[in-house]
Amino acid sequence: MRARYGMVIDLDRCTGCGACMLACAAENNVPAIPQATARTGLTPMLVRKASNGMDGGARREVFIPIMCMHCEHETPCVHVCPQQAVEVDKATGIVMQMPQRCLGCRYCMTACPYHARYFNWWDPSWPAGMEKSLNPGVATRMRGVVEKCNLCHARLHSAKEKAAAAGKREIDPADYIPACVEACPTGAIRLGNLADPADPVTQEAHSPDAFRLLARIGTEPKVYYKSKEAWVRGLAESVSGRGANNNSEVKHV
Amino acid sequence: MKVTRRDLLVWSAGAAAGLVVTPVPWKLLDDVSIWSQNWPWIPQPARGPVDVKQSACALCPRGCGIKVRMAGGWPVGVAGVINHPVTRGALCPLAFGAHQLNWHPKRLRTVHRQASSSSWVEAQAAFAKACAEGPVVVIDGYPGRAESLVLETFAQNRNGQYHVVLSPEIRSLIPYETWSGIPATALGYDIENAQTIVSFGAPLLDGWGSPGQFSRLWAERAAGMTDPKLRLIQVEAELSRTATRAWRWVAIHQGAEAALAAGLARVLLEDRLVRARLPMPALTLTDAAVRSGITPDAIRDLARTIVANPPVVAIADDDNPAIAALNIVLGSIGTPGGIVKKTKAAKSYLAADSASSPARAVLIDASVPWEFTPQTDAEVFRFAAWDGGSSKADWLLPAPGFLEALADVPTAPAFPVETYTIASSLVKAPHEVHSAAQFVRTIDPSLPAMEKIIHTRCEDVFRRRLGTLHAQEQAPVATLPSALKLEEELRKGAVWVGEPLRVGFRCEMKEWPTISDSATSANWTESWSAPVLPPLASKLCRESNLREAPQGRNA
Repeated sequence: MRARYGMVIDLDRCTGCGACMLACAAENNVPAIPQATARTGLTPMLVRKASNGMDGGARREVFIPIMCMHCEHETPCVHVCPQQAVEVDKATGIVMQMPQRCLGCRYCMTACPYHARYFNWWDPSWPAGMEKSLNPGVATRMRGVVEKCNLCHARLHSAKEKAAAAGKREIDPADYIPACVEACPTGAIRLGNLADPADPVTQEAHSPDAFRLLARIGTEPKVYYKSKEAWVRGLAESVSGRGANNNSEVKHV
Repeated sequence: MKVTRRDLLVWSAGAAAGLVVTPVPWKLLDDVSIWSQNWPWIPQPARGPVDVKQSACALCPRGCGIKVRMAGGWPVGVAGVINHPVTRGALCPLAFGAHQLNWHPKRLRTVHRQASSSSWVEAQAAFAKACAEGPVVVIDGYPGRAESLVLETFAQNRNGQYHVVLSPEIRSLIPYETWSGIPATALGYDIENAQTIVSFGAPLLDGWGSPGQFSRLWAERAAGMTDPKLRLIQVEAELSRTATRAWRWVAIHQGAEAALAAGLARVLLEDRLVRARLPMPALTLTDAAVRSGITPDAIRDLARTIVANPPVVAIADDDNPAIAALNIVLGSIGTPGGIVKKTKAAKSYLAADSASSPARAVLIDASVPWEFTPQTDAEVFRFAAWDGGSSKADWLLPAPGFLEALADVPTAPAFPVETYTIASSLVKAPHEVHSAAQFVRTIDPSLPAMEKIIHTRCEDVFRRRLGTLHAQEQAPVATLPSALKLEEELRKGAVWVGEPLRVGFRCEMKEWPTISDSATSANWTESWSAPVLPPLASKLCRESNLREAPQGRNA
């Protein structure tokens, strides 16, 4: 069966701890480059803070984890890539980035409505000895290419290998858990197969509280958000990943 | 053949046109670019057999259960342990980068005497001389461990003193110790059974207690629910992470937690919302309203809301007697869902800030938060795995880093039931390191060895035949064949969880405590005892707007 992997992120459960960001960076061998800033760092998973714009006791805040939305329809980054370095995997629905093909033109970064793509400005480097702590399942990427979330494809690969070794065609869902899902202490981030109507994540994605960011542009992102708060759902059309300054806060108007 | 000026021009134009059309220069440029992007010295992940070990994080007293992925003998990833009885798979964010800490550029690799390099031999000689000349004060940041026992015994043997830097959770229990005589370390908050939690600035969703315990509980019983089973009311001046996600956020003036607690107690007693007959706070409701910045009616409403969904427990962010007194008014002492006694074996400790006794030397364990600086003229020997700078120690001694030494992990601060596990040493330190306990044993070889203490503790747990061992499967201790088997399982990452004591106790509060402004407590970034953060914490602190790096801690 062809899968459509997607996520539901319950914003009412997100406490903004940032465990997902660190777990993602550790899993994907993202280097902590000292000179990287909010504009130039690699944050395939970026948790942003947004508020209702009020002050004092009426102020409310929400934390919004933003990563590649794995757009299903007219995927903008796929369309603009001159090198065919981006493609939507037909078997999984995951938008894949192939750094070996990427020439670093950054057209895809401009095209991404969620600003969920990052340019690798520096050769990957770690303090002496720290390379021993790198995840052997993921290669370090070269300077000059664009990076983004690939739903921890290495973990999917391992799950497929495990299934194949057991003579199965389908993976056990328990074997494929992306790092951010595993790290979330409140279970706010969940992965599921959106092609399976019985999957709890698919059902949550169709609940009245679920929404997608910038849904009006019609790219059919496979990352859904969920909140009971109307003002949070109202952010759907105004939030995007990295603007001019990551430290600026999104305000609901 | 005669070459004319015209021929030269034609060839030049042809070459220029050909250069544009031919792929060779572009291919060369591409190849050079790819070649320069893949220098042979660019780090690549180590290869080797991948293995997963279960252990416990001993970087702070919370002792979270961790699953460590090892490749080629080195830790390459950290994750939570789903079936851990306390943390249930959750960890603080820093734990996900903890496996990189051992190679942090600020790792302390050699003994330092003030600003210059020294050696272990010189440090031992200097410490032995100091011990011979006068009393020694030992300061610990993680009491209850086998290592702590060695340090405490050493201090006693030398007519010295043993002091402890207590965590904010334990400090918040000190008023109950004063009123009941039961050590604060023997008490805990039974939040599992509480239906309403009134947090006075305690960062419950930001690293308080054992980070995973409350996060999981809140996610199951409260998150996103309009009428949650667990009502979290956060009283705080700022919209903190906990306040953001609380069922109710009560915004008060900075430092007015004690005044609001007194106001609530007055309403509860005056309106007979509770059965208790206790001294009335001196503060009037109007005064409490003025000081806290919310109206008297709002305080009345809050009092009614609090008692509407018992059991209730109020949690202070630090040592705040007014909030402890509110718990007495609420009847939350010694009852399920309130403040409970977890052990009969705990003892009181001298707080490190009272370490003013004359001493010839002060020995500071690596578990003491780096910010702690002893106010003393004595010679200071400080153990640390990382050099945070400006330590004001005469001697800086390299301590084991993450998973580099055997350690036992006692109950997390303020957890309501006794727990015990062992964090085995999984990696070898790249240079000579010693723990404070090993160091003092070179001066006093009669001190017990860590291994022996841990073994004795396992035998004690086995002999009591109480509680459950949480390994892959849960098993009552009474069903285990031997203490050795228990120890073996604990060394593999299993956790022993004791039985709840279910013993009531009383607090004798003769008069309402004096109301004073309190400071806001630290969250996990400040309570992290290491002087550095994992390099990947830069994602949190520099590359996002999530939080500021704690002062003086390089991310």
